[in-house]
Amino acid sequence: IMNAFGLIQIGLILFSTTTISSLQCNHLPLQQRKVIENSLQLLDKMGKKFPQQCQREKMSFRFPEQVLKPRQKETVKVVIEEIFQHIFYIFSKNLTLAAWDGTALEQFQNGLYQQIEQLEACVLKKQPHYFRSKEVNRLKLKKYFQKIDFFLKDKQHNLCSWEISRAEMRRCLQLIDKVIRKL
Amino acid sequence: LSYRFEDFETNETEWKELPGCQNVTRTECDFSSAITEYYDTHHVRIRAERREEVSPWSSIFEMIPYFIAQIGPPGIELQSINGVIKITVSPPEANQVRKMWIDHLRFKYNLVIWENSSNAEFRSRSVFPTDKIDDLAPDTTYCLKVQATLPLELQEGLFSPIRCIKTTRKAVNNLLCATNVSVLALNMKFHLHWNNQYKQYVSYNVQYLIGYLKKLHDDYSGKWLNVPGCENITDTQCNFSSIITTTSGFYYLRVQAMSEYNKSCLSNEVKVDPLITNEIGPPGIKVDISDVLLHIQISPPGGSESEVMRDHYDLSYRVLYWKNSSNNEEEIKMKEIKQTIGTVSDLTPSTLYCVKVQAFSEVYNKSSCYSREECIKTPGDKILPLIILATFVTALIAVLLVAIPLGFALYQAYSKIKYVFFPSCQPPSNIEGFGGQLFSSPYLSTTEEPIENCSIIGTVTTEVVHQIDFKDYKYSKQSSRDSGNYSNDDDTSGSKASEEMLVKEIV
Repeated sequence: IMNAFGLIQIGLILFSTTTISSLQCNHLPLQQRKVIENSLQLLDKMGKKFPQQCQREKMSFRFPEQVLKPRQKETVKVVIEEIFQHIFYIFSKNLTLAAWDGTALEQFQNGLYQQIEQLEACVLKKQPHYFRSKEVNRLKLKKYFQKIDFFLKDKQHNLCSWEISRAEMRRCLQLIDKVIRKL
Repeated sequence: LSYRFEDFETNETEWKELPGCQNVTRTECDFSSAITEYYDTHHVRIRAERREEVSPWSSIFEMIPYFIAQIGPPGIELQSINGVIKITVSPPEANQVRKMWIDHLRFKYNLVIWENSSNAEFRSRSVFPTDKIDDLAPDTTYCLKVQATLPLELQEGLFSPIRCIKTTRKAVNNLLCATNVSVLALNMKFHLHWNNQYKQYVSYNVQYLIGYLKKLHDDYSGKWLNVPGCENITDTQCNFSSIITTTSGFYYLRVQAMSEYNKSCLSNEVKVDPLITNEIGPPGIKVDISDVLLHIQISPPGGSESEVMRDHYDLSYRVLYWKNSSNNEEEIKMKEIKQTIGTVSDLTPSTLYCVKVQAFSEVYNKSSCYSREECIKTPGDKILPLIILATFVTALIAVLLVAIPLGFALYQAYSKIKYVFFPSCQPPSNIEGFGGQLFSSPYLSTTEEPIENCSIIGTVTTEVVHQIDFKDYKYSKQSSRDSGNYSNDDDTSGSKASEEMLVKEIV
C-alpha cells in the first residue's frame, strides 16, 4: 500500500514538473546549447581575469570525463542534469568574498535552474526507470563535486578558492558544450 | 554469544572493526560513525563468538551508503494569515554537519493537505521551501504533512509529523487586490494585464522576482523588485519587457495595489518563462513574379527583436499558396522552408495566385498567425504579346501604305479643282488704268463720255452723230471686255444685251 501511495506521489510530482515545461524534449539539445553559451558568457562576465596570486593555489580536481562519453542520448541528459544541479548548488551560497557581479551571477543561476527543471521533466517523461543502471557515473560526479565543495570549505570560501572553482566550472561547461554539439 | 562486525571499504586493504559493534549481544548494531565515505562501496561481515569459539564469517553485505540511504522528514513552520497558510520547510539533515544529502537544494517538497473532518479529500501539491497555500476555505482547520523527494533518483523521503492549523477570515480589503493577472507577450514584448473592482482611487506597483530565488531556502520576500516604468501607475497594464534580459531563466510577476489610506494588497503571482510565454507574431510577405517562378520574400516577425526569436526559436516558415479563381475548389498547397526566400514553380500561366505565410517553431511547438494574403498574376504565354505586337505593327504599316498615296491624290485633285473653278487671276497691267467706272454700269452715260472734237462737215442732225458715237462705243467696249468681275472669255452675250438696250433707247 505504501508503495502504491508512493507511486501516486511520484506521478503527481511528474505532473507538476511536466506542466512547467511544454518543450518538446527531442529538441532539448538546441535549447541547452543556447543556455550553455549564455552560461559561459555570464561566468566570464561575473568576475575579472584569473588573479595571478591564485595560481599557486590551483588544484587539479580531475573531472571524470568518461561520464560524458555518450552511449545513449538519455544517459547524457541525466549526466548533464546532475552536473547542472551541482554547479547550481555550489554557486548558491557564501559568495561574499568572491565579490562577483551580482546581476551576472543571478542570471547565471537562473539559467541553470530553468535548464534543470526542463531536463528533469523531459527525463522523467521519457524513461522514469532509467537511472538505476548508470549510477556509477553519477557517483563519480558526486565525488568530483564533493572535492570542490570541501576545497571551498577548507579555504573558507576566500577569493582564490572561488576563482579556482569558477575556472573549474568553466572547463566543465565547455566539456558539456562539446558533447551537446555532437548530439 | 556476541557478534563482531567488520567492514571493508573499497580503497582499503583490510577489514576494519566497526567501533561500538564488537561484542554486541543484540542482533543489530548502529555503525554510522564508521561510515564516512558515502559514495564508496562498503562490505560488511559478521560472525558470532562464544568465549573461544568463533563462527565462520557471514556472507558479505555489499552496499553503497548513498544508494541505500533514505531521505528523512523535513521540518515545517506554519503561519496562518488572511485566510492563507504560509509554510516554511527546512530540509532533512538541516543542522547536521555531515550530510548524506549535501545538495539540499535538489529536494522537491511534496505537501499533502486535508480538511480536519470526516471523509476529507487528500490533496497533494508541490511546494517551495517558502510558499503559501491560498486555495483554502476560511475559518477551517486543515492538517498537512510534507515529504522531501528527489524525483530523478526516484527517492521519496519520510513524511514530517502531521501539523494542523486553522485558517483565518479572508482579508477585508479583498476588493483592493488586482485580479485576473495575466501576461500577453508578442514578439518578445511582454505586457502584464489585470483587473480591479475597487471603486476608489488605487495605484499599482508591478514587481518581479528572479525565478531561482524560490528554490533557495532563504527568505525571498525582500528580493521582489519594482518593474521600471510601472511604479505608482493607475493604468491596469504594464510593459515589463525591460526586465526580460535573457531568455534563459524565468520570472515571477505580481501587482501590488495601493489605496489612498496606505492600504496595500498583493495579487497572485504569474510565472513567465520568456520563450514559452511569448507568442510569435505573423511575418511580413512580399511576392514577385518572374517567368515561371513565384518569388516569396518573407520578413521575419518581430523587427528588431527578430534576432532573439530567430536564434532561440529556430524559426521555420509555412507557406500556403493557391489559385484564386471564381470557383473555390482550388486546393491549397503548402510548403515549409527554413530561409526567408522561397520560390514556387510549376505555375499555370495567366492565373492569379495568392500566398500567405506563417512562422513556426518546431522546438517550442509554437506557430504565429498567418501573414496577410498577397496575390499576383502569372504572366500569359510569352508568344501572345509578340503576336499582338506584330499584328499591330503590320496594321500600322498597311494603313500608312494606303493612307499616304490617298492623301497625296486628294491633295492633287483639290489643287486642280481650285485652279479651274476658282482661278486666282490678275488683270494685265496695261488696262489697269480704266478704273472701275467703265464697267460699273452697262448703260451709256452721255454726259460723261469724252466727246471727240470733230469738225462739222455738213449740217448733220445730232442723231447721226449719236449713231456714230454709239458704234464707236460698241467696239471700244468689245475690246475691253475683261473687267474684274468676270473671268469668262465668252462675254458677248452680256454686251449684246446692252447693245440692244442702247438701240432701244435711241429709237
